[in-house]
Amino acid sequence: MATNAPEQTLFVRKASGLVKGWSGGDGFRYSFFSVNLFLAIWSISYATFIPGGSLFWSIVITAIFIILEIFVYAGLISAMPRAGGDYVWMTRIFNSAIGFIIAAVGWWFILWLWTPIYADMGVQTTIKPIFRILGLNGAADWLGSRTGIFVAALVVIAIASILVAVGMKTYARFQKWAMWIGLAGVIICGILLLVTSGSSFKEKFNAAAEKYYGGDNGTLNLQKYETDESGYFVYDDTGLAINTVEGQTYPDAFTQLEAVGSGTGMPTSTFAGGLSWATWTLIPFMMFWMAWPNWGATLYGEVRGAKDFRKNIYQMLGGLLVPTSITLAFLGLMTWKVGYQAFMGMMASWWYYSTAGTNISPIGGDYISPTAMISWIVPNAAFQIILIAAISLLLFGWFGTLFLSSTRMIFAAAFDRILPEGAARVTSGGVPVVALVLMTIPSIIMAALYAYTPIDAEKGVTIVKLFTYDATVGILIMFLGSALAFMIMKWRAKSIWDSSSLPKRGIAGFPWMSVIAAIYSAFLVFNLYLFVTDALYGVNNSKSAIFMGILYVAALVIWLIAWVTRKRQGMALEAVAKEIPVE
Amino acid sequence: MSVRLFFATDVHGSEACWRKFINSAKHYEADVLILGGDMTGKAVVPIIDNGGGKYTFHMQDVRHDLDGADALALSQRAIRDHGYYPVVMTPEQRNEFSSDPDKLDDLFHAQMRRTVEEWVAWADERLTGAGMRCIVCPGNDDRPDIDGILASSSEIEVGEGNVIDLPEGYQLASSGWTNLTPWDTPREEDEPALKARIEGIVAQATVSPDRLVLGLHAPPYDTQLDVAPKIDWESLTIQGQDSAHVGSTAVKEVIEQVQPILSLHGHIHESRAAVRIGRTLAINPGSSYVEGTLSGCIIELDGKKKLKRYRLTMG
Repeated sequence: MATNAPEQTLFVRKASGLVKGWSGGDGFRYSFFSVNLFLAIWSISYATFIPGGSLFWSIVITAIFIILEIFVYAGLISAMPRAGGDYVWMTRIFNSAIGFIIAAVGWWFILWLWTPIYADMGVQTTIKPIFRILGLNGAADWLGSRTGIFVAALVVIAIASILVAVGMKTYARFQKWAMWIGLAGVIICGILLLVTSGSSFKEKFNAAAEKYYGGDNGTLNLQKYETDESGYFVYDDTGLAINTVEGQTYPDAFTQLEAVGSGTGMPTSTFAGGLSWATWTLIPFMMFWMAWPNWGATLYGEVRGAKDFRKNIYQMLGGLLVPTSITLAFLGLMTWKVGYQAFMGMMASWWYYSTAGTNISPIGGDYISPTAMISWIVPNAAFQIILIAAISLLLFGWFGTLFLSSTRMIFAAAFDRILPEGAARVTSGGVPVVALVLMTIPSIIMAALYAYTPIDAEKGVTIVKLFTYDATVGILIMFLGSALAFMIMKWRAKSIWDSSSLPKRGIAGFPWMSVIAAIYSAFLVFNLYLFVTDALYGVNNSKSAIFMGILYVAALVIWLIAWVTRKRQGMALEAVAKEIPVE
Repeated sequence: MSVRLFFATDVHGSEACWRKFINSAKHYEADVLILGGDMTGKAVVPIIDNGGGKYTFHMQDVRHDLDGADALALSQRAIRDHGYYPVVMTPEQRNEFSSDPDKLDDLFHAQMRRTVEEWVAWADERLTGAGMRCIVCPGNDDRPDIDGILASSSEIEVGEGNVIDLPEGYQLASSGWTNLTPWDTPREEDEPALKARIEGIVAQATVSPDRLVLGLHAPPYDTQLDVAPKIDWESLTIQGQDSAHVGSTAVKEVIEQVQPILSLHGHIHESRAAVRIGRTLAINPGSSYVEGTLSGCIIELDGKKKLKRYRLTMG
């Protein structure tokens, strides 16, 4: 009997236990938070180290390759959705040792280093500017000291621990509010920049600099520096910029920063450098903020099909492209209102102070936070503090993810008996106490090392701070492992590949998904090659190599101890993840 | 002498997972296989016969066009491995099923029974003379008549409502009934009724608690074993990233009162975990049947009073 019923392609039982989907916004929110705008601001400032490269094009190129990352991770999540992430994907497709060692470093050990990095960023971009507005200059200066950074890291550790302890549900709610409030702050900043003329911006900037860094609050350093015939600063034998004749000063802070821009050779346009090699060498710096749209992207539910695979891609794409667009728009607005070279001069003034020790900044050793300088457009201290604090929720709201990712990794390793059962212990209130200890105590140690290790003579920062980018390297190595696992999934985990909804078409027997994974892997190798071979990124040195080596050896030792122990108990580690035959 | 158990649950019609379950005895060197509930599938995939040996079906939102009997057979196997039931039909028959819920229900019933019969026959062939035990307890998603098919097996022992002797003086008391769910499944009831049911089964046990294993499909409430995405009961949609404890208070109370050495649970596929409730180790190995992976747990009882060790697996 012909009917007008729609063509049904699947008949689902009434009592099926299947849910009909999940909120489309959730995956986007997680990805958006992860491609963090504060990390973006921080990464942009690193472009001062490669003035010949185009920041704009480096961001665009990076985004293109991260789209490939999104396909890879959407594919892994679609094929093995409840598996527990990189650790299980690599364990399943390679073996227990490779999966644990790479994931333990990438999702557990290296995150210890992120805690002082977050603290440093939070202090420089948010706390110090707020303290200056409030006139708490002693406190602001103290935060820049070794002990100040260490204490700030302890605060980050405490916040991250609390956010884990309160449970996923409460943390998710906090994150939701943090994102919306932070975004509202970003929109306000955008509006302020749009409606403010360039001259008015400079006027307000100078007024704030004078108010917060000059007069009774300190001494605005407006001394002029000697330049050569090309307009670049001249340095003495110790690497300090040479003051011109005493008494010669710039008329105001902004003019000085414009001079810093030209004096340090900063580009006049974000496009300058085009697609040159210098632009490509900026990419590892951009990976510091752009590599993470796949962070925490998991699915619930069982109606898993191509639509879910596509939905995952769209949400992670949104999580990548929205902050990328905001960042590019920000660069555009700064170019328009401030002047690109002047803006980069602001960034350079901080790095030249913190790494070379040469004080060419009008405001001394403070980082010129973009959120702070935009807030100065409104000459009202309360407004400025609220705006800076609101936007900072985009950073603070993400802190909990730091420890959450690690606890999942620790649990998975405990279930597989690489770690003892107790590592997955949870209190009656749902607090993963042992996992938290395994994150908290090493993070405190790492924060102490970050703050108190000797200053590297050449780079002017502590030895551990010098290899900040190892925090990215450890995770990129893990991503490479997962990408390679995905590339060979068709052959190494055939049953999972066959039963997945992943597109199976390809060329010459290679699925397009494997080709995408191969290109993405090559991109990661490119980044890792630059990290390892170029001193510019701070990790091309023996101390960094020793640090990373210690982490990988520690992971190997843990695995070996587990392997021997379990073998004696008659439960070989390999058997846990080895596929049971079907026939 | 110790006893090695292998426990898996919630295979939901996945042919691959059923076969892996039966083969896991050899793979993990287990003495006893225990399958927790929910062994029947959730959906029928209509394979439209277009005539001339050509067929069309949709699987996971992807359209597949088949040409010939071999391609059809391969796809039918792939669908079964996924946990769905492939049924070849004409477009007219598909429309009939779309418009007649009772007819569709009969179709589901027939497919479930036929699949379980095939599974039992295959298991009997594999397990005969193999020297290991196999206990299967249907769950809340499984219709009651499945028990009769399982009982007809020469090798499979039916767990539902029974206390079964295990090696080395242990006993297993099982039930696949759960507390109420949003889906009105065949074996669900309110907490007081569930508690009475479980207590009635446990009362049949003749061993001390330190030799008693409970196989209860519903996980204990407010533990790591029962965390599921929060669902709106009307629309059956997930509420953001909110989660909720959906396990059974009755199950938790019984565990707390009886304090068996071990309790085995399923039902919540996402909550793969092991927790201690007093002296009891409660385990939910979760389920990854969708991708054809058998999530399970190896447990070794030491033959005395202790649980020697356990380990979650993903094969």
